Amino acid sequence: MTPVMTEFLQIRQISKLYQPDKEVEVPALDNINLSIEKGEFVVISGPSGSGKTTLLNIIGGLDLPTEGQIILDGKLLTGLAERELAGIRRDHIGFVFQAYNLLPVLTARENIEYVMKLQGRSREKCRARSLMVAEKLGIASLLDKLPHQLSGGQQQRVAVARAVAPTPKLVLADEPTANLDSKSAAALIDMMEKLNREEGVTIIFSSHDPLVIAKARRSVVLKDGKLVTDICE
Amino acid sequence: MFRTIVKIAWASLRRRTTRSLMVVTMICLSLWGLFLMEGIYDGMTEQMIANAIRSDSGHVSLFGQGYRLDASLDNRIKGSDTAKLEKFLDSDPRISSWVKRLKQQGLVATAHYSRNTVISGVNLRREKGHGRLEDYLVQGEYGFGRQAKGAIIGFKLAEKLKVSIGGKIILTAQDLHSEVTATALRVTGIIKTNNLRLDETTVFMDIAAARKFLGVEHGVTQVAVMLRDNQQTAGFQAGLRQAFSRLEVLRWDEMYPALLQSRVIMNGFSLVVSLMIFGIAGIGILGVMLVSVLERVREFGIMLAIGTGFGRLRAIIMTESLLMGVTGFLAGAFCGWLSLLYFKIYGLDLTVFSAAFNEFGMDAVTHAIIRPDYFVNAFVSIIFAVLVSMFFSLRILRKSKPIEVINEI
Repeated sequence: MTPVMTEFLQIRQISKLYQPDKEVEVPALDNINLSIEKGEFVVISGPSGSGKTTLLNIIGGLDLPTEGQIILDGKLLTGLAERELAGIRRDHIGFVFQAYNLLPVLTARENIEYVMKLQGRSREKCRARSLMVAEKLGIASLLDKLPHQLSGGQQQRVAVARAVAPTPKLVLADEPTANLDSKSAAALIDMMEKLNREEGVTIIFSSHDPLVIAKARRSVVLKDGKLVTDICE
Repeated sequence: MFRTIVKIAWASLRRRTTRSLMVVTMICLSLWGLFLMEGIYDGMTEQMIANAIRSDSGHVSLFGQGYRLDASLDNRIKGSDTAKLEKFLDSDPRISSWVKRLKQQGLVATAHYSRNTVISGVNLRREKGHGRLEDYLVQGEYGFGRQAKGAIIGFKLAEKLKVSIGGKIILTAQDLHSEVTATALRVTGIIKTNNLRLDETTVFMDIAAARKFLGVEHGVTQVAVMLRDNQQTAGFQAGLRQAFSRLEVLRWDEMYPALLQSRVIMNGFSLVVSLMIFGIAGIGILGVMLVSVLERVREFGIMLAIGTGFGRLRAIIMTESLLMGVTGFLAGAFCGWLSLLYFKIYGLDLTVFSAAFNEFGMDAVTHAIIRPDYFVNAFVSIIFAVLVSMFFSLRILRKSKPIEVINEI
């Protein structure tokens, strides 16, 4: 099927069935259809087990759908080989994980520069870009510290910087505020919103925190793997 | 990116310092011991070969037609051939020295004991410059006395005859005319060449006295030739065979095939050693890398998720394995080289076991040999071990589905 080029991200009839053993099938997502425009700031919410993480993983090419298609900026991701998906994740998608997932042996600066280096950018460009993003996120003074020397909030800001610094088309954040206190959570979402505005990067994040959800401009709600609400501001 | 890969690999090794050091130490000690074994065993073999070449065969020996099958004086190199041969040998620049010997089998006896013997008529002055025969002297003097009535005998023969310096021995042999003839000599010197054939049976006497004793005016039974470069042995042998078709021309390894076998055994030993290194290094590195990979599945999952290709993970794991393997190799090679250098200069003195060594015709003091092959073979084994361990580690990593692990909190 030829992808339609109008929307930035198209999620078409995505279903996901987990099969822990031969006779048991657990539906995680059921026929999800969603279109997201470039530069949107979207939250996917829903109770635990509603399929938020599965949907983000499928959008980011970390997991495969049982049925359906993902089209990112006109390119069909479904069915691509792992090598090609790795290239797309490297060049076009930034990830922020609930558990920060920074590389423990690298400093904050090296973590931020890691993907840019994978992209083949020069050392000077990596330096300049990592410093610029770090200043925006208020972590410029922490760049030489190792992850274990940082607080949870600081680590998550480094993770956001790592996701945004390589100038991806899309940032996927899976419950980025789940391990933070409410003040840090609100601050982090504010920073992400600011990056969304200033850098024009499309951000999709999942959360079940009402205060965080309230900051998004578009809210998609999942329940039992089905899309139940899709509200734009 | 290369710096980042090296940094990740190095930091991972540092995170497990004790384990990494243990593997490096294990590789180092194994290599150290194995280099020592190779160098010393090689030294023993080469010393045995050198002793045989110096004391008897030279690089090439010439005999009369049929002499090797029937060691009769009739089969000696005749006078006419000898003159032509001497001229040829004197003019060939590849030759460092050559000697003539007149040998005959016989019986050596004292008042109480007798043994089979090989009577060898030699020119001691020429033998000194040829195979440094004097250096093998362990008792007495390097000479046959003023009237050439002396004899130099092997130490094992002396032990069996229970004869010492100044002792009288009677030589009995068949002369050129098939008559039994005898002569009495005083033992003037005892040598220990560690060439069993010589030490157990040979009685050296003056070649002129031997001619008189055996009734041989012209000709010799053996001409031994020492070359400046032993690599030229085969070519030199071929040239001699062409020039002297009536003579038998043999290389040292054709005269002493057992010594050549020692070299073959040494090559086999080297192969076994390489396999041992491969096994030791492989198991050590594989163990550490497997644990390291399993501990870091999540970390690798993060890398894959944010766009790292599997090839980069392979590079990280290979760098870690190589760092351990090459560090262990360098340490082991340095220790091994240093120890071998010491034993090459000063020798390994195993006089305590000299009785056992004597039985096998080996020197009690062994000077080690250092060959680049030892290090090259070991390095190749280490690299091979690294690649095998990396292959298994990557397989385990793939099976662990690292991307799925990152969603587990």
